Amino acid sequence: MSGKEEYPVVFGKWEIPYIHSAGRFSTQFFNMLKEKRIMGSRCSKCNRVLMPPRSFCEKCFVPVTEWVELPDSGVIQTFTICYEKFTGLPDPPYALATIRLDGADTGLMHLIGGVDLSDLNSALEKIRVGARVRAVWSDERKGSIFDIKYFEPI
Amino acid sequence: MGRIAIVGVGQTSYEDVEAKRDKAYYEMVFESTRRALDDAGLERGEIDSVVEAAYDLLDGRTISNMYLCTASAGYLKDESRVAEDGTFALAYAYMRIASGHFDTSIVTAHGNREGPAELISNYVFDPFFYRPFGVSYITTLAMQATSYTTKYGVKEESAARVVVKNRENGVNNPYAHLKSKVELEDVLKSRMVSYPLRELEIPPNSSGACSIVLAEENLAKRFTDTPIWIDGVSWSVDTYHIGSKDLSEITPAKIAAKRAYRMAKIDNPAKQFALAEIGDVTAYHEFMLYEALGLCGEGEGEKLVNDGFTSMSGELPVNPSGGALCANPYPATGLASVAEAVLQLRGDAEKRQVPDAETALVHGISIAAGAAAQTNCVIVLRR
Repeated sequence: MSGKEEYPVVFGKWEIPYIHSAGRFSTQFFNMLKEKRIMGSRCSKCNRVLMPPRSFCEKCFVPVTEWVELPDSGVIQTFTICYEKFTGLPDPPYALATIRLDGADTGLMHLIGGVDLSDLNSALEKIRVGARVRAVWSDERKGSIFDIKYFEPI
Repeated sequence: MGRIAIVGVGQTSYEDVEAKRDKAYYEMVFESTRRALDDAGLERGEIDSVVEAAYDLLDGRTISNMYLCTASAGYLKDESRVAEDGTFALAYAYMRIASGHFDTSIVTAHGNREGPAELISNYVFDPFFYRPFGVSYITTLAMQATSYTTKYGVKEESAARVVVKNRENGVNNPYAHLKSKVELEDVLKSRMVSYPLRELEIPPNSSGACSIVLAEENLAKRFTDTPIWIDGVSWSVDTYHIGSKDLSEITPAKIAAKRAYRMAKIDNPAKQFALAEIGDVTAYHEFMLYEALGLCGEGEGEKLVNDGFTSMSGELPVNPSGGALCANPYPATGLASVAEAVLQLRGDAEKRQVPDAETALVHGISIAAGAAAQTNCVIVLRR
């Protein structure tokens, strides 16, 4: 045979509906977001304030039941700015970060917004490890992580 | 318990998915497994355990090992699968033999890029706190690289030098997906994919398969004059909450290395290993792994590349195969590293042979199935 061979292909696509439950514990966090309040959970053994809140401490392996209200500001722990379009993923550019809210010991993942990302170097002046950021809230809040639109450098 | 050895290896070439359309994924696995059995001089009947590494969403079939079982020589045998890097399948097969229930085992792994690995990796993440942001394995690895470079002030040129080194090595590896040299400038000018990662600092998406045959000590000595002994193996898994761990180091690799080294009586890894094949999931991760695997102190990773310590002519060549930056058939990436180390220790690595290699370090890592280098496996091999 000569030249490039063609093989029959099938275009596969999975469309499988799932109904995922956040569980009673995390639902309290999402319900409070509707009121523009961010709740972490504190481990009674190691005292870490966990964000996202968790119903058990992975280190101490004990249940966590205490809620701690946190401010909607903190610092960027780390970040990336994505400039590539990947199939099925958001249109670039977008900035992803983990944010350690003041009083928390661990970081929450969210978007960084309010910054022009078209030029990397100028974006890096505002989006830095350790830069202070504050939540920008959605007007319409439904109890999801997008009740916070993004975090903005302050 | 006696020692356990690798007595056969088989690989297909690793290529772009388009180039691999002549074979369905399980046919690639048949090809590598047949080669591994031929390499060991064995037939299917002499194998009693079969373990595959396969990832359902990458294969686009749930329980994708239903097809792989027979292609892995597992017809009517005790077959099992892990949804992780191939090094974990090797560790599992090792334990099955160590248990005394099995004498021989096949391990197979394959990369299948019929679907988009970046989108598939988004489905690894929880649907409440992570997935909605479109996070993928590339963006989490990028966030880890940011954390590392911010802490230690790593130069972009140093990261680019990792790519130049590994791509140069890949030229001599007939199995590699990318077999062309690149210059420092090429890397530094390649497009920014996800800051700080540039196009050439991220592994390609490769398809292909790798198979390994293991045997217990007495059989291994009967099967081959060049058994390659598995003298240390360990692994560790971190939390997937990426804001809850120190992203500037790869803690689970550190822990796995400590345990594997203890088992293999390695106390000075930078001196005792003749070569290392490690999961360079990004150029920056190669530095982080040097540190986690005890080859240098914290923050000193870039020095090993800049000084040529880890180049082919250096004291400890790292990724003579070219590493993941030249072929990334995840979840076969780590098993391909094992295959390379075996060829090196046997003296069969041709143009890329490290002279007189007696002891090799292999490290496997979750790539498309983990959050920021979450899962790590370390293996010590001796001839």
